[in-house]
Amino acid sequence: MLKYVIKRLLAGVLTMVVLITVAFFMMHAMPGGPFSPSEEKNVPPEVLERIAASYGLDQPVWQQYLTYWKNLLNGDLGVSFKTVGTVREKIAGHFPYSAQVGGLAVMFSLLIGIPMGLIAALYRGKAADMATLALATVGISVPVFVLSLLLSYLFSVKLKWLPTYGLDSWACYILPVVCLSMNPIAYIARQTRSSMLEALEQDYIRTARAKGVSELMVVAKHALKNALTPIITYLGPLVAGLLTGSFVVESRFAIPGLGYYFVRSISDRDYTMIMGIVIFFGLFVVICNLVSDILLAIVDPRVKLANE
Amino acid sequence: MNLLEVKNLNTSFHIGVGTVQAVRGISFHVAQGESLGIVGESGSGKSVTMLSVTGLLPYNAEISSDSITFDGREISGLSKKEMRKLHGSEIGMIFQDPMTSLNPLFTVENQLTEPLKIHRHMDKASAREKALALLRQVDIPNPEARLKQYPHELSGGLRQRVMIAIAIACAPKLIIADEPTTALDVTIQAQILELLQGLKRDSRASIIMITHDMGVIASMCSRILVMYGGTICEQGDVREIFYGARHPYTWGLLNSIPKVHQKRGEKLVPIHGTPPDMLQPPAGCPFAPRCRYCMPVCRAYMPPETALSETHRVACHLMHPKAPKVTRED
Amino acid sequence: MSVQILDNNAYAALPEDMFVIGIDESHAEDIPRPSTTYWHDVWQRFRRDRLAVIGLVVIVIMTLMCIIIPMVSPYTYDGSDYMNMNAGPSLQHPCGTDQLGRDQFIRIMYGARISLTIGFVAAAINFLIGVLYGGLSGYLGGRVDMVMMRIVDILSSLPSLLYIVLIMLIFGSNMGSVILALCFTSWIGTARVVRSEVMHLKHSEYVLAGRLAGANTWHLLIQHLIPNAMGPIIVSTAFLIPGAIFSEAFLSFLGIGIQAPRASWGSLANAAIPVMQMYPHLMLFPVIAICVTMFSFNFIGDGLRDALDPRLKK
Repeated sequence: MLKYVIKRLLAGVLTMVVLITVAFFMMHAMPGGPFSPSEEKNVPPEVLERIAASYGLDQPVWQQYLTYWKNLLNGDLGVSFKTVGTVREKIAGHFPYSAQVGGLAVMFSLLIGIPMGLIAALYRGKAADMATLALATVGISVPVFVLSLLLSYLFSVKLKWLPTYGLDSWACYILPVVCLSMNPIAYIARQTRSSMLEALEQDYIRTARAKGVSELMVVAKHALKNALTPIITYLGPLVAGLLTGSFVVESRFAIPGLGYYFVRSISDRDYTMIMGIVIFFGLFVVICNLVSDILLAIVDPRVKLANE
Repeated sequence: MNLLEVKNLNTSFHIGVGTVQAVRGISFHVAQGESLGIVGESGSGKSVTMLSVTGLLPYNAEISSDSITFDGREISGLSKKEMRKLHGSEIGMIFQDPMTSLNPLFTVENQLTEPLKIHRHMDKASAREKALALLRQVDIPNPEARLKQYPHELSGGLRQRVMIAIAIACAPKLIIADEPTTALDVTIQAQILELLQGLKRDSRASIIMITHDMGVIASMCSRILVMYGGTICEQGDVREIFYGARHPYTWGLLNSIPKVHQKRGEKLVPIHGTPPDMLQPPAGCPFAPRCRYCMPVCRAYMPPETALSETHRVACHLMHPKAPKVTRED
Repeated sequence: MSVQILDNNAYAALPEDMFVIGIDESHAEDIPRPSTTYWHDVWQRFRRDRLAVIGLVVIVIMTLMCIIIPMVSPYTYDGSDYMNMNAGPSLQHPCGTDQLGRDQFIRIMYGARISLTIGFVAAAINFLIGVLYGGLSGYLGGRVDMVMMRIVDILSSLPSLLYIVLIMLIFGSNMGSVILALCFTSWIGTARVVRSEVMHLKHSEYVLAGRLAGANTWHLLIQHLIPNAMGPIIVSTAFLIPGAIFSEAFLSFLGIGIQAPRASWGSLANAAIPVMQMYPHLMLFPVIAICVTMFSFNFIGDGLRDALDPRLKK
C-alpha cells in the first residue's frame, strides 16, 4: 500500500512540476504584458518600465523562472499585478466561496446521481429507467452556460422566485448548485446504471444468490461495491472541478469565488494571479486524484497489484 | 426415495429478436445419495436446466413445469424468499469459472462465512472456525492465511476449492456442479475431480454433475442424462450409456473421446454440423440435421421415449419397429 | 413451429417410407439465419435507433442550411437594419434582430458555420493525432511507450479548460487558435484506445502467425487495426464533435473565443445576457441552436456506440 501511495505521490509531483513550467512559459509567451504600453496608454513608458523592473520583469525569462520556483517553495506566490494584496491572500479570500458552492454541488450530485442510477438499473426498461436516461441525456447535452442562462431567466427574471446573484441567503445557493450539479448528476447516474447492470450480470452475483444471500444484500453488498468503483475514480476530478469554482456559473451568478477571479485575472492579464490560480488548481486536482486513487485501492484490492 | 424429481420442465428466454426455447419438456430425477451426470455440448440446455430447477435464472427467463419436488416438497411454486432458504443450505452449487465466480472485492473469509451466517446464524468467531475446517476439508494448505486473502491472490485451482468449500458449507443434500473442471488446467482438473470424488464418498449428498466431458462423467457418476437441443435424448446408468448406447448423438459423443488404446492413425470422430438454432427449433428431432441415420420421420416428428430397461431410455425414431436396425460403428 | 408429438397408435401406424435412412444430407451444415457483414449489421442497428437517425437528419439539415442560407439571404452577419432594432421574431427577421439591428437568424447561421466547422475540423485533427500517437506508442512499446503514456497521463490529469484558456490568451481570439486549443488534449482518449488495441494486436496469435510467415509487422498492424479498433475509435471521435462545439461556445461565452462582429452561438448568448429581461428572444434562439446540435450529436454518438458494439448497450 505504502509503495503504491508513494508512486502516486511522485507522479503527482511530476505533474505539478510540468504544469508550473508549462504555465510559466506560456504566460510569458502571451502578447502584451501587464505593463506594456499597448495595455496602459495613459501611463508614460518610463514609469511602466520602472514598475515592470520592480516586479523583476526586466530580467531574462529563465532567471524569472528560477526566482519564481524559489519563492514558490517558500510558499510565496507573489503579489497581484493589478489588485491590492498578495496572490496567496486573494486565493485564500476567494476559495471559500467556491468551495462552499462546489461542496454543496458535490453532495447534491452524489445524493441524486447514485440513487437515480441504481433505481434505473434495478427497474431496467421501466418508466423510472427511461426517465433517468432522458434526464441524463439532457444533463450531458445541455452546456452549463446554457443551463445557467435558462434557469436564471426562468426562476429569477420571469418568476422572480430566486435571486439572480450573490450569496446572501440560502436561496442564492439553489441555482448555482443546480447548474453545477446537472452534468455530474447525469454522468454519475449513467455510470452507476451501466456499471450496476454489468455487476448484476457477473458470475459472482449468481454465486451469492446460490448461497442464499437475500436480494437486498445481493444488490447492496455484492453488486453495489463493484458498481461504485468507477464512481470513485470519477470523484477526484469531480471534487477538484467543482470545489475550485466554475468559470461560467460564478460569473453568471456573481459569486466572488476563484473561478470568477480567474476569468477576471485573464482579462486583466494579471500574470502572478493567473499563475497562482493555475498552480492552486493543479495542486488541488493532483491532491483530489491522489485521494480518490487511495480510496479506490482500499475498496478494490486488485488495483494495488496492477500498479506495483 | 428421490431427492429431486422434475416433471415436464420448459424454459425459454425472451431476447430482442424472439424467444429462445432452451429447455423443452424434460423430466428426470435424482435419487438420494446418487450422482447424476448431465452431458451435452454447449447450448444443449444442461446448465439452464439446473438453473431453472434452482430458480437462479435472469429476469428474462420464463420457466414452467408440471412439478419439481425436492426432498419430498413441491418447490416449483415457491417464492424467491423461500427458495433462498434452500440455496446454500440444502442445495450447494459449484460453477464453471472460479476466476469470475468469486466476488473480487471481498475476502475469502467474508464469502465463505456468508452461507454459515445466513443459514446457520453463526456468529463471526464460530463461522470463522467452521470456515477453517471447511478449507482443511477441501485440502487447502495454510487456511488461516487464505481466509484473509482476496480471490485474485489465489490460483484457479485454489479458487475452485474455495467455491467447493462454499457449496458444502452447510452440508447440503444436493450439490450441483456446473462444469467444475472445464476452466482449469488438466493437472488441476484431476485434483478437483479427486476432491469431488472424496466428497461424494464421505457425504450422503446427491450430486448433479453437468459437463461436456464424458471422461469426467465416467469417473464421477452412476447415471447419465444426455441432452441435446433442450431435450433429453438418452439416459441410463454408466454401463448402459458407455457400452449400450442407442442414440446416434450419444455414439457421436462417445466416438469423440480419445481412448487409451487409440490405434495409430485412427482419428477421433467429430460430430459434424452445428447445434440447432433454439430461436427456431426444428419440428422433429433436434439432432436430425446432423444425424447420419436421419429419416423422413425424424424431420417431421419429435421421437417418443422408448424404455429399454428400468433405467435406460432413449428418444430416437430408430427404436421404431419399422426403422432399420443400425448399430454404433467405431 | 410447435413440437409434434404423436400418440402411440398414430406413431405405430406411420408409413414405412418415413423410415428410410438418408435424406438430403446437404442441409446439415445450413446456417439457419442469413449471415451479414459487420458494417451492414452496424447500419441495421443504427437505423433502428430512432433518436440517432433524427440526430443525423438534423445535423445534415443544419449543415446544408448554414452553407446555403448565407449565400442566398439578403442579410449579412454584420449588416444592420436600423429600422428594426431589437425587434422580436417576424416574417422579415425570423429570429428577430439585435441591438444594432442585425438579423439574428443569419447570425445564428454564421454561428452554425463556425460551430460545425470547429466541431468537424477539431474532431478530424484529434482523430489523426490520436491514431498516430497511440499507434506509435503501442507499436514501439517498452521505454518509449512508457514515456509517451506518462506525458499523456500528465496532460490529462488537469482540466482541459485550463490549457484551452491559456492557449487562447497566447494565440489570440480567432478560429485557428480555438481549434488549436481544442486539439491540445482532446486526442488523448483516442490515443489510449488505439494504443491498447495495437498492444493487444501486437501480441495476438494471428499477427504473430503473419510475422512468422514473413509479413511486415507494421503492415499487419494497419491491416488488422482498422477493422478491429474502428468501433471504439469512431465512437470516441463522434463524441469529440459535441465536445469541441461546447468548448467553442463556452470560450465565446466567456468572451475569449470568436470576436465581434463575427458571431458564434456562445458569443450570441453572451451578448444577450444584459438585455435578457427586455429581449429574451436574443438569448433563446442561439441557446436552442446549441441545445439541438448538442442533443443531435450526442444521440448520434450513443447510436453509433450501441450499433458498433452491441455488448455495450445496457
